[in-house]
Amino acid sequence: MARREHLLKIGVSGVRGVVGEFLTPALACAFAQAFGSYVRGGRVVVGRDTRSSGEMLQHAVNCGLLAAGCEVVDVGVLPTPTIQIYTGGTGARGGIALTASHNPPEYNALKLFNAEGLFFNRYERGELIDLYHQSDFQQAASEEIRGVICEREVPRKLHIQRVLQHVDVEAIRKRRFRVALDAVNGAGAVMTPGYLEESLACKLEAIAVDPNLPFPREAEPGPATLGELSELVVKTGSEIGFAQDPDGDRLAVVDETGRVLDNDDVLALAIDAALARVPGDVVVNLTTSSSVDEIARHHGRRVWRTPVGEANVVETMQAVNAAIGGEGANGGIVFPAVHLCRDSYTGMAFLLDRMAATGESISALSARLPRYYRRLGKAPFEHGRLGTLMQALEREFPQAEKDRSDGLKLTLAEGWLHVRASNTERLLRLAAEARSPELLDTLYARLTKLLE
Amino acid sequence: MSSRAKKSLRISHVGLRGVVGSGLTAAHVVDFSSAFGTFLEAPGPVVVGRDTRASGAMLREGVVSALLACGREAVDLGIVPTPVIQHAIRRLGAAGGISIGASHNGEEWNALKFFGAEGTYLSTAEAGELLDIYHLRQFGFAEWTGIGKLRLETGAIDLYLDALAEVYDFSAMRDFRVLADCCNGTSALILHRVNERFQTDFILINERTEGVRFAHEPSTTQATVALQLSPLMKPLQADAGFLFDADSDRVAMADENGAPVSEELVLPLIADYLLPRSRGRIVITNLSTTSLVEEIAKRHGGEVVRVPVGRHSAIDSLSFYRPEQVALAGEGTGAVMMPQFRFVYDGIASMLAVLSMMRERCQSLSAILASYPKFSILKAQVPLVAQRVPALLARLRERYADGSVNAIDGLRVDWPDRWFHVRVSQTEPVIRVICEARGEPPRDLFEELLEQVRIA
Repeated sequence: MARREHLLKIGVSGVRGVVGEFLTPALACAFAQAFGSYVRGGRVVVGRDTRSSGEMLQHAVNCGLLAAGCEVVDVGVLPTPTIQIYTGGTGARGGIALTASHNPPEYNALKLFNAEGLFFNRYERGELIDLYHQSDFQQAASEEIRGVICEREVPRKLHIQRVLQHVDVEAIRKRRFRVALDAVNGAGAVMTPGYLEESLACKLEAIAVDPNLPFPREAEPGPATLGELSELVVKTGSEIGFAQDPDGDRLAVVDETGRVLDNDDVLALAIDAALARVPGDVVVNLTTSSSVDEIARHHGRRVWRTPVGEANVVETMQAVNAAIGGEGANGGIVFPAVHLCRDSYTGMAFLLDRMAATGESISALSARLPRYYRRLGKAPFEHGRLGTLMQALEREFPQAEKDRSDGLKLTLAEGWLHVRASNTERLLRLAAEARSPELLDTLYARLTKLLE
Repeated sequence: MSSRAKKSLRISHVGLRGVVGSGLTAAHVVDFSSAFGTFLEAPGPVVVGRDTRASGAMLREGVVSALLACGREAVDLGIVPTPVIQHAIRRLGAAGGISIGASHNGEEWNALKFFGAEGTYLSTAEAGELLDIYHLRQFGFAEWTGIGKLRLETGAIDLYLDALAEVYDFSAMRDFRVLADCCNGTSALILHRVNERFQTDFILINERTEGVRFAHEPSTTQATVALQLSPLMKPLQADAGFLFDADSDRVAMADENGAPVSEELVLPLIADYLLPRSRGRIVITNLSTTSLVEEIAKRHGGEVVRVPVGRHSAIDSLSFYRPEQVALAGEGTGAVMMPQFRFVYDGIASMLAVLSMMRERCQSLSAILASYPKFSILKAQVPLVAQRVPALLARLRERYADGSVNAIDGLRVDWPDRWFHVRVSQTEPVIRVICEARGEPPRDLFEELLEQVRIA
């Protein structure tokens, strides 16, 4: 008998699922009460993106936190990095963001942060999930129950102020950049227009900046989903276009010709900007382009590679005291001098800063990046087949340098291949990169042949 | 917490009630509210409000979340009396409502009360259905496109006062100096507003509602009235004193001399006022309430219908009659509902009825009460040993076979000038023993009963 579809995942990365049948108020409430018990009461910051289920889940989370004896600071709709920075800066015991980030609108999730506004490490996450499963919650008595405080302005000011310390604000403002924005009617809608227009003195052309409307495009910003922004850039003669995901941590960029930049190139540009300003190494995931190695080498720095996942990148960044890090394909830039989290606002500031400093267009800046050709793909995942596939790959490329820390990455003279199981979906993720389109085709074809 | 508090959770036809933390948890609140959101069939929003308890903030979040998840718009009135919630349900054409508050219980308790369309209490059948949905835990959550939104509404108290003002002349209340013990509950919000709007002279004690512990238990009994209200009556030269429970659906009284009035007298008093001015002849009350109700009803050609104890039994009984046939309904706890207000227990409206009666008769409260024959009631409770209850009731029935027997709710036995009622409480694990006689208290019968209930 076929197993009934279950669209819920409770694991070390928190709770994620389709609302309604799967991600229920009871589940969110219980998980929040486990969280409140784990951080032992005190103040907890709660915010969300603009999903239709956000308000409902936020009340469930508030309920669980209050029941555990926590005081709730409700920051309402805000980007995830803003919630993290405010959590770290306000003496809270932790924070919860209700967002399924780039997932489709029927999904939602609880992202959990510690007192510094960082993801819990994997051991803490294990303890929390055990506590949840044991239902061993703190149950506050009447006199221990605290209330909900609303805080709307301070978090966004704090975030913007942190970012602007690291760029030449006056130089950017003086240029009066013409900028286009697609905030996907997400959390960025409440903050990005003010950030670009007021803080950075840009002339803004914006679409999808109504937090009360549904997402008008696919949530994940990328070449396939940003047609409207490209058109807007061309039509309005904008010098650059920015696109965010629903919780404002990921960034995609459109150049002045309307072309959507490869996310790996956006990260490479940000790394270049960061290394010019602060000392330290670079941390990226295994699937990120080799162009970052060249850029780091140029600044005399090394690159550390980690398994895919923001938490993995951030953990290594902490360990090596990195200057900057991120994940290429998904548009995540992590700049610890602002905060150890994915932050589209830092990305926007860095790109405008480079344009202001060099006087060059965004297309010219990206054209000067080391040139690699990449292809990403996916294949169905079947339990028990991964090992055989990995062995076949190793046999196919005996001369390759192997990294088995997340699936299998094979590095060859002409490029590399990476095959791994997705953390969030029942899929195999495939990635290949090479120096030329022809080499890429050959490499990718050898991979897909093995999959048949 | 004592072991008693650990067993405090009570999920029944009456709803959900318990000591917060040790008995009643966030999970219960979310699940029960999800069951209510699933239970409601009529379209429309759901109205939510709460009393002044600190834990209300937590319960409110759970209730709102569950209602939104069930696809309902939630209209939150904030901290308001229960009758205001019921009024808002009618005013907004809402599908139903939830009142968060444990009315007469101490501040460590909390509870949820559920209302259907028109703000009525659930009948026994409806409450049973709600309970079944809760136990099945298969809730009707909306998909992501249908999830509800929360709306905050202020001003519900003023709209409720507008409705009261259509029936009672507030400006006439200026003639009285009224003392009110608000027990740090929601009645303070109403009475402050009444003073502002109508320049009345209501003096409030224990009127702070935010960030304070209850000055004393908000229970509408003669004993609580005697604590703080009674001693202040004479020094303040007040004409009448009223004490409200935390959600203002019940009231207790002190007369102008400071004498605490038995909670049993609220219903007969209002019956005495309403029967002559009402087309309805029927007074609905429960088996545990004073016989003075019959006495008063007889004076005005009314008829008393006795039903089992509990809100839902009164509601079930109301459905047997056309609304205009019923003059009022209530119980000996100070909870009275009147047809003008669509049969909602309302302590504020009850107070206004009593004051209007004093004004129209030009009589003091003590003078009105002195015109009633004296009945003495004794009440006690004994810890419940559930399996022995049938044998106990059978034995009592045999022993008191000379009286007339009513067995619809435990056992009530009546003689011409006295009666007793022994029944199992629906809200606490106790057996209640109530005994009343015309004139002096029936101590011998009471002691005899208690002895038998204890050895049972």
